[in-house]
Amino acid sequence: MSDQFVPPSSGLPAANVSVLERLRARIGEAALSTEATVEAGHLKRFAEAIGDPNPRWTREAPPTFLVALAPASLHLAEAEEYGKGWLNGGNRFEYFEPVKVGDRITATGRVADVYEKTGSSGSLLFIIFETEYVNQDSRTVAKLRGTAIRR
Amino acid sequence: MSVKVGDELSELVKHPTTRQLVQYAGAQGDFYEIHYEQAYAQSVGLPGVILHGLLKAGFVGQLVTDWLGDRGTLKSFEVSYRGIDQPGRPYHCRGRVTRVDGDQVELEVWGEDSAGNRTTVGTATAEMKG
Repeated sequence: MSDQFVPPSSGLPAANVSVLERLRARIGEAALSTEATVEAGHLKRFAEAIGDPNPRWTREAPPTFLVALAPASLHLAEAEEYGKGWLNGGNRFEYFEPVKVGDRITATGRVADVYEKTGSSGSLLFIIFETEYVNQDSRTVAKLRGTAIRR
Repeated sequence: MSVKVGDELSELVKHPTTRQLVQYAGAQGDFYEIHYEQAYAQSVGLPGVILHGLLKAGFVGQLVTDWLGDRGTLKSFEVSYRGIDQPGRPYHCRGRVTRVDGDQVELEVWGEDSAGNRTTVGTATAEMKG
């Protein structure tokens, strides 16, 4: 398990290249699944937070709701050794079945890719996450691909 | 089907506040401090607190579902975040139809700041009812 990696205890800062290598070792790693029920109150709070008054969201999930149901990215503590902050680069949702109040959703996420890009303003680390959402009837309801950036 | 290439979606203008960012942080469960703590945001090189990318995606998603209504089903929705946005400034969501192929429709969608910079750009596809 890559969780067993620890930063060097010599007091030397871990080089960015080593962070990249350690993260790349996690690509495709057996992913953690989380289960959650789509609750009416949660849908209401989510739609209110966006400011979307569509009454449809009292019964079913708006397009981006699944990110609120289970973490859209794995917590990668080692990534935080790179740069000073996170940015969200983008999100892609594919929809296969509606997500409705009462659905029991299992979200399974994994790291799909990790790479570094160097530009005029410095280096950026890109981590691509993929999450699959499956309902209580074993139907895949949606897939999400997200790009997290360390800068 | 009445949808045709070039059709524009009705503009959706949002007026995000720091309060809304806190509300969204709670609803999504994303408590990264750059979205509500000025000093923290500045310590990581940002001008101040910024909107969650996924909140902007939520705004653009609303643009799409308002347009689509019950005329069809959303099949995909993709956004890239090209710039940061701060609360207290209006956010304009716009889009247009770029492709119609039978019952399949593709939209170009984006969110822009008051200066007209497209800080969120994306596409959506839908399957229209016959």
